[in-house]
Amino acid sequence: MNRKVLTFIVAALLLALPLLLGSVSEFWMHVMIMIGIFSILSMGLNVIIGYAGQFALGHAAFYGIGAYTAALLLINYDLSFWLVLPIAAVVTGFFGFLLGTPVIRLRGDYLGIVTLGFGEIVRLIFVNWVDVTRGPMGLPGIPAPKLFGYTFSGKIEFYYLILVLVIITYIVINRILHSGIGLNMLTIREDERLAASIGIRPNKYKIMAFTIGAFFAGIAGAFWAAYISYVSPDAFRYMDSVNILAMVILGGSGNLAGSILGASILVITPELLRYVSEYRMLLLGLAIVLMMIFKPTGFWGEKHRKLNFYGKAQKGEGK
Amino acid sequence: MKQKRKLSIGLIAILLIGILSACSNNSGSSESNTIRIGLAAPISGTQAQYGTAFKNGAELAAAQINESGGIDGKQVEIVVSDDKGDSNEAVTVANKFVSDKSILAVVGHFNSSATLATAPVYNKSKIVQISPSSSAPGVTDAGEYTYRVITTDAFQADYLADWSKELGYSKVALIYEQSDFGIGLLDVYKQAAPENNIEITATEAYNPGEKDFSTVLTKIKATNPDAIFIGGFYNEAALIAQQAQKLGMDVEFIGVDSLYSEALLELGQQSVEDFKLIGFFFPGGDNAKATEFAEQYQASYNSKPDTYAAYSYVATSLIIDAIKEQGADRESIKTFLDQVKDYEGATGTLSFDENGDVVTVPSKLKVENGEFVLSE
Amino acid sequence: MLFQQITNGLTIGMIYALIALGYTMVYGILKIVNFAHGDIYMIGSFLGLFFLKELQVPLYVAFIFSAVVTALLGVTIERAAYRPLRKADRIVPLISALGVSTFLISVAQLIWGTEMRPFPTTFGAKIYTVGSVTISEIQILILVLSCLLMVGLHLFVKKTKIGTAMRATSISLTNAALLGINTNRMISLAFAIGSALAACAGIMVGIYYNAVYPTMGYMAGINAFTAAVLGGIGSIPGAMLGGVLLGLVEALAGAYISTQYKSVISFAILIIVLLIRPSGILGKKEIDKV
Repeated sequence: MNRKVLTFIVAALLLALPLLLGSVSEFWMHVMIMIGIFSILSMGLNVIIGYAGQFALGHAAFYGIGAYTAALLLINYDLSFWLVLPIAAVVTGFFGFLLGTPVIRLRGDYLGIVTLGFGEIVRLIFVNWVDVTRGPMGLPGIPAPKLFGYTFSGKIEFYYLILVLVIITYIVINRILHSGIGLNMLTIREDERLAASIGIRPNKYKIMAFTIGAFFAGIAGAFWAAYISYVSPDAFRYMDSVNILAMVILGGSGNLAGSILGASILVITPELLRYVSEYRMLLLGLAIVLMMIFKPTGFWGEKHRKLNFYGKAQKGEGK
Repeated sequence: MKQKRKLSIGLIAILLIGILSACSNNSGSSESNTIRIGLAAPISGTQAQYGTAFKNGAELAAAQINESGGIDGKQVEIVVSDDKGDSNEAVTVANKFVSDKSILAVVGHFNSSATLATAPVYNKSKIVQISPSSSAPGVTDAGEYTYRVITTDAFQADYLADWSKELGYSKVALIYEQSDFGIGLLDVYKQAAPENNIEITATEAYNPGEKDFSTVLTKIKATNPDAIFIGGFYNEAALIAQQAQKLGMDVEFIGVDSLYSEALLELGQQSVEDFKLIGFFFPGGDNAKATEFAEQYQASYNSKPDTYAAYSYVATSLIIDAIKEQGADRESIKTFLDQVKDYEGATGTLSFDENGDVVTVPSKLKVENGEFVLSE
Repeated sequence: MLFQQITNGLTIGMIYALIALGYTMVYGILKIVNFAHGDIYMIGSFLGLFFLKELQVPLYVAFIFSAVVTALLGVTIERAAYRPLRKADRIVPLISALGVSTFLISVAQLIWGTEMRPFPTTFGAKIYTVGSVTISEIQILILVLSCLLMVGLHLFVKKTKIGTAMRATSISLTNAALLGINTNRMISLAFAIGSALAACAGIMVGIYYNAVYPTMGYMAGINAFTAAVLGGIGSIPGAMLGGVLLGLVEALAGAYISTQYKSVISFAILIIVLLIRPSGILGKKEIDKV
């Protein structure tokens, strides 16, 4: 019952948060919303890196594709946000599929570089394809979502929306991962040859991972576009991909809740440490190296998973 | 499951930290004894030098008023926040400022994209934002509370096109930064060129941070222009000039006020000799306020100020004047600014139009013997 | 214009080649991509700046000092951030490398600030014109010095005992160890040489563009890696070939197609090569042993 009480308390806090904070501080509402966005991003990336074991570096590109798709649809075609959100997600998922298909043959390090390259190419397209994206000038004036005639105007509405999206993302990905698909991915991650030899086709699942990761990044992107009402290429750079990667690593690859934790840590800490912000990147770099040396599975990562012959995962000793 | 419990504990911990910090944060209410003005600029990141210029300019303005007793006995404090030149970070910074009730107005941001991204935030909370440097045309419509003390790219490029004709250029090549800034300049100059009988022989873009212009310059050399218009900042301009020299190109250079900086001279040395640029900030010329500002800047920071420091100084001074006259209140700062006419400052005489844009006239400058001087 | 572009392309290609050597040597032995290598190049450049400006030493001394210090830095990084992870999953040292890269950039920014700094030397400004091509002194230095360094490395690796030991280690780490080679030392040596070469490249670039800044390692690193892959990663002549080729392709593509999309073209080449022929032009096809 302990568990239920805790969950209830957390849920209550999360729901009541805007009422506690909203009138007090726009800023912390903004931080919570950012945590929400990055949670979705890092959960998506976790599917690719943590579960399928693919070292993908260009995740910010998917985020960007989602954002730009949503922005363009909202500005130019006056569609409802609720229609645009799934469209953006699907489009981005499609790009995930496109990227995944050729690159899955590559090994870890090469894969990283290629995905990084993809990320950069996408960003450069955002910057240079001025006719469509207005390049570095960005797309301002994105209309806010409307629900039953009420237009979103304050942080509170966006907060509840992102809360809902985070929960949906968590539940959906969790379901997928605890189903046969997820277990197959883990099998592939642990030993690709073995997986193939028992009839699991690695390529199919790797592509699936990319598609899922990209799909949710698209959701995050669409939300971002509507929330900030302005999209520009400098939100989707290499360093942003590294940031999302760090969130996955810190929280524990292979653990969805960890991704949320990682997102929270990496969004809040710079704010708390604003006065030493020049050291922020330095500490981040150091933290990544130290984590790899001492705790490569992250704070909440799995300790050591053992797989038995039937593809079922068991937690090993030391847990 | 242990996982869920850890999740819950973790989340609660974070929420608690967040809430506690939020409460402690807000004890900086308007009951403080200082007058707080926000400054949003890239203090770190690739554009940190411009952020530092902003910071110095603003802090100088504050220091000067503080020396003479502050405003109504209260000292003016510049609250600096780093937006890293990134529109994401900028929005976070904007939210922070807006939540802090003691911040009366904000000087910032640097990049037009940051200013555009944050304008909705400032406008919604009805707090004034004056940008010293965001020159993209889009900022005109950014909002009622968004002002700027720099003219738009449209104005500068247009003026430059006229001057190009006066200088006798008939063929001009354009090298521009692939950014809101560069593209803005490109578009307007291209449009204004035909009426000034100027043929655009080539337009080449470069990505910000690019160092190698040899390919671009080689292409341009083949088209034989009289001059090259650089739509970018002084760092790249210096590199372009040097590399052009290395390629043996015999060509003149023109640009806008983003070129005005000691760094241009330092990085470019010989190769930037005879560079022509328009500037709104020129110490040692007709504007006594500019000269005065430069002297004080030199005394305080031991270096010469660039255009951005001057703009920041002017923006901050305007806010300080508003507070002096109308009191420490967010809304009255806006009403003051709406009525600014013929304000004499370090960057010339300026007035705000109904969109918060500034109307003023630049000087024509050039580099002679390693120094900036008035041209003609 | 064509020959001019070719000259420019060759120049930048040599730089890519020098940096690519570092990637290729490390990859050959450890099979990891040292993401931080581009930033080592950057530090080498700043160190050169430091020696020239603060200590006012002559240019060739700056080269030597910078190369030595950067080599030490490379070895230290290997010891601290990669060696403890030798037994771990492939992905772990890669992430660690990312961390090192971020760390190095921040350190450079903290020490030297974020602005672009000029290189305080008047060397290299003279230009010569041969036909329709203008070439500057620094370009000549780059071409000549790079060739010398590469030839030197080639001879070292092929003819000396240590060089052969290094080659053995890159063919098979375990076999080399069985033969009595101190593999750790070979690894350190690979890092040292790679870093030293990168430092030389950094100084030459500093003079050529007259600008150094903390994030200069990023693009250079990616381009150099592309060059290494193009030529065949793990192969030293491959890195040289790849570098020159990439430089030429970039210059010509920039000239005749588009300058803005220059980087896109580099990445596209990288991706295509990796997909079609991951072993590169001169690389050996790797057999994935079960």
